[in-house]
Amino acid sequence: MNHQHHFVPDFETDDDYVNANTNPSSSNLARKPIIGEQEEDGDLMELLWHNGQVVLHNQRPNAKKQPPPPPPSSSSAPPPALDHNLFIQEDEMSSWLHYPLRDDDDFCSDLFLPAERQTSNQVVTAARPPVPSTVRPPEASSMRPPAPLPSSVRPPVRNFMNFSRLRGDFTGRGGESGPSVSKSTVRESTQVSATPARESDLTRRTDGIGSRGTVDLASRSAVDGGGGAYTVGHNRKGKAVVTTEPRNENPAGASSSLASKSEIEPFNETTIVDERKRKEREAIDETEEEAKQGRGSTSTKRSRAAEVHNLSERKRRDRINERMKALQELIPRCNKSDKASMLDEAIEYMKSLQLQIQMMSMGCGMMPMMYTGMQQYMPHMAMGMGMGMEMGMNRPPPPPPPPPFMPFPNMLASQRPLPPQPRMGGYPAVQASDPSRVYGSNQQFVPNSNQAPYSGYMDPYQQFRSLHPSQPPQFQNQAASYPSSSRVSSTKESEDQGNQTTS
Amino acid sequence: MSNRRSRQSSSTLRISDDQMIDLVSKLRLLLPEIRERRRSDKVSASKVLQETCNYIRKLHREVDNLSDRLSQLLDSVDEDSQEAAVIRSLLM
Repeated sequence: MNHQHHFVPDFETDDDYVNANTNPSSSNLARKPIIGEQEEDGDLMELLWHNGQVVLHNQRPNAKKQPPPPPPSSSSAPPPALDHNLFIQEDEMSSWLHYPLRDDDDFCSDLFLPAERQTSNQVVTAARPPVPSTVRPPEASSMRPPAPLPSSVRPPVRNFMNFSRLRGDFTGRGGESGPSVSKSTVRESTQVSATPARESDLTRRTDGIGSRGTVDLASRSAVDGGGGAYTVGHNRKGKAVVTTEPRNENPAGASSSLASKSEIEPFNETTIVDERKRKEREAIDETEEEAKQGRGSTSTKRSRAAEVHNLSERKRRDRINERMKALQELIPRCNKSDKASMLDEAIEYMKSLQLQIQMMSMGCGMMPMMYTGMQQYMPHMAMGMGMGMEMGMNRPPPPPPPPPFMPFPNMLASQRPLPPQPRMGGYPAVQASDPSRVYGSNQQFVPNSNQAPYSGYMDPYQQFRSLHPSQPPQFQNQAASYPSSSRVSSTKESEDQGNQTTS
Repeated sequence: MSNRRSRQSSSTLRISDDQMIDLVSKLRLLLPEIRERRRSDKVSASKVLQETCNYIRKLHREVDNLSDRLSQLLDSVDEDSQEAAVIRSLLM
């Protein structure tokens, strides 16, 4: 690990950023965050992971560029830390990180001075997607030793300014907004709606904040809230703080930026893959946003709102696609690439599974009965079973079965006449043919063969017994071969045939 | 049903409205949870898909469970008996 910066030792360093930072830790930030490494690390990890690369990269140049005080040497140390923090933020954030930060020097300096050292690093890294959240813990640390390092902290401070500003606004809000924020974060649009401005706005605002005192307070409060859970919880808080405050105080930019950050929090909840995808998209969005910044606030806001909407749409679609893939894996022999056909197949598969389970459970229930000796009850049970099966099958589909449920009524229809009629070998044949036809199976004759030996039995019990064995197999065939290519037509035909044979 | 639009859209990341309707209707019919708890307009595609996956897994478990039971029953039944034939057919 990079102890020098006290952050994310575990992150894998990105080659790109390694060059910039020359700190393995910073590069680590680019990777996915390692939670729980250290307090600072944990924070850093989360943040870095999203935009780490972008941020870091930006950070460094910013740090270097900053004309004022930050000496290159000092900046080099802190910038890596800062980079990490910024790193963590979403790509969107990185855009504003690059630009605005300059103005906030004095604003941030108070906060970040102490943080420059290790604390600052932590603070920086802590600023995960919800900038404020990450910033909090570091800020706390930075807060304590407030001021001394203005110069060295500058570059990092810049970046944090945005966060710190948000913090300042949030003083005391961190806690409440947490839960709501986490939820809101999922919907970037929700927050964005308040202010379409994205990070760019945020950055602008940071410049305007000038309320260092509040920032300190915010950071403190943030720290308290976020102290415990660096990982998700921490982020949440950070976001909460950030989001709530910006909304309240900085209607336009802050909330939007926070929203994007809050977006990041849901990442914790979602898969990393999703996050990465989102990050990519967000990165793209960021660049777009940056371009828009030059156009003007109005158009930028609208475009940002559209971007936010696109991002949320993307997230939604990613979720849906993910679920579709999972569903496709569950369905056997599903070679359909078309979503609609896959869904149709899933529907048929579910129906066949339900039917199969019904058959099997019935068979399980009936099997012991068959040789328990309760023969006089068998006919009744058989009838009840048949009826029960009908009822059971009728339940899922609506009473007037729509076409997809055609097999059910056909099967039921074939079953109904069976129990009341004491036919020796007719019923099984009828039933077998229907259900098997339903799904186009070829095993319809199996039950018939079973029935053949018993055709001579005049025992009413025998009749039902034969029915039972035949019934399950029939449905088994049906269920086993759920592809229902020609089930509707075949079912009807089988019914006719069965009826004819039995009669 | 939504073949025309779904064909084009299925290849993309977009899910067409027809697909959505298809999805929702199927799940409403087959999933007790969705049917009872949610109104159609409230069901989101991802939620429906998730419920479907969960339901299918549940059905798989049930099938396995029933298969085990039937296997046990088969062991307790005469090989050539009718019941054995039934059980075997069920198990296949």
